[in-house]
Amino acid sequence: MPVKWLCYWQPSGGTTVSSQVLVDLIKSIESMNGVRSGRWQVTASQHRPIRRDQAVQVECARELLGVAFSEAPNKYYFVLRPDHMVVEADSTIQSIMENLQVYRNHLTVVFEGFQYQLGDFHVKAGRAVIAHSENLRGIVLEVEYLPVSSLGKTHQLMQEFVDIWQEVAAQSMTGRIVHLEPNFGDYSLSDQYSWQHTALQYISLMVHFLSQRTN
Amino acid sequence: MHKYYFFFQRFLKTIFYSESRFTASMHVEALQVLLQGLCGGRQEKLKIHEICLKSGTNLGVEASEVHLLCSLSQTDPVWTVRHVGGPMRGAGAEQLPAHVRSVLESSISSNALRFFYALGYKMDYELVRIGYVFQFQRVVPITVTATMLCKVPKLHAIDEAIPVTPGIQLVELTAPASTENYSEAVGAISSFAEHLAPLIHLSKPGVPTGVVPTASTAAASLVSRGAMKVS
Repeated sequence: MPVKWLCYWQPSGGTTVSSQVLVDLIKSIESMNGVRSGRWQVTASQHRPIRRDQAVQVECARELLGVAFSEAPNKYYFVLRPDHMVVEADSTIQSIMENLQVYRNHLTVVFEGFQYQLGDFHVKAGRAVIAHSENLRGIVLEVEYLPVSSLGKTHQLMQEFVDIWQEVAAQSMTGRIVHLEPNFGDYSLSDQYSWQHTALQYISLMVHFLSQRTN
Repeated sequence: MHKYYFFFQRFLKTIFYSESRFTASMHVEALQVLLQGLCGGRQEKLKIHEICLKSGTNLGVEASEVHLLCSLSQTDPVWTVRHVGGPMRGAGAEQLPAHVRSVLESSISSNALRFFYALGYKMDYELVRIGYVFQFQRVVPITVTATMLCKVPKLHAIDEAIPVTPGIQLVELTAPASTENYSEAVGAISSFAEHLAPLIHLSKPGVPTGVVPTASTAAASLVSRGAMKVS
């Protein structure tokens, strides 16, 4: 599977992210001759355990994170951060979890936007919002390099692409593109890129956005 | 889509005869020959490590159970998680010759057990099923399994598993159906069970049946025909 880097837009000090930022970033992609190739969506959820008796503690994970990708509709992924675990399952696991009634959905973040083709690269630009609200939590950027699956072998090339994009964006915007790189090794994920890597990246980005102060 | 599985179960008893050419496992072998004939030889070995997990104290709206199945018949283990709902109830369900239950399954990565432990589930029991499985298409896909249930003497010591009822196999017929077509599936599975009638009677779980009077004769005939084919 092609390697993906997940980034976010860090506004310059004192400013907050806005939808205009996304408009400007899309213009920067189009100025690099990016060709729009469709829409995309990623849905990430935070679940909390259900206790029958609120007064009694339960021995279980306090937070269960899950993520689904519009590009991989038959799959669902879970991440348990304290246990350093990424779990891959069919999308029916969601129905199983609903039937078990042990965890309840606390919050959902929807990442959505447009994707573009630039030669051997696919680029996604979009926003992250709390589901069923217009509460914008961040601007997300994804860079995918199609020919290669090795994280190690693509690192320099991906960094160069992001640097070029940063220069183009800086012509009309203040702020910077920040690469979010989870420690894949801690989660027993190898150098060969997979959807499990993507799951960890988007979950980490959701956690980052939720931890940021908003207006 | 929810799948409904029809369970026909029968414990296939082996009978030891005084005549030397019959072995204790003759009926099991005969069933294998019969099923091979019916499905054109598409038989697969089955070895499944099944772990039943129950939710921990105070976890969830109510106590729940989930099964992890690790298939060991391929080179790499394949994990599945299964949730089985209660049987369909009511007057209509009583009339049906099979149990109808909602079954949800998902493939899952090999860290499934550690995952469910982290969610607060605890192992209730584990067992190993060894036998074979046949797949048929008769209006609906029908799966026939004949397996020996083996208990695991120490935690996860599946190589040391020993049969719970030596010489006795559990035969199950299952077929998936939706809420719209389950009566078709009932018909298909009932009619298929008739093919096995010379050898075994199949019934709803919990409904006892006796040994078929013709079983021994039928078994002997099948086994000798099977032996001739092999040679």
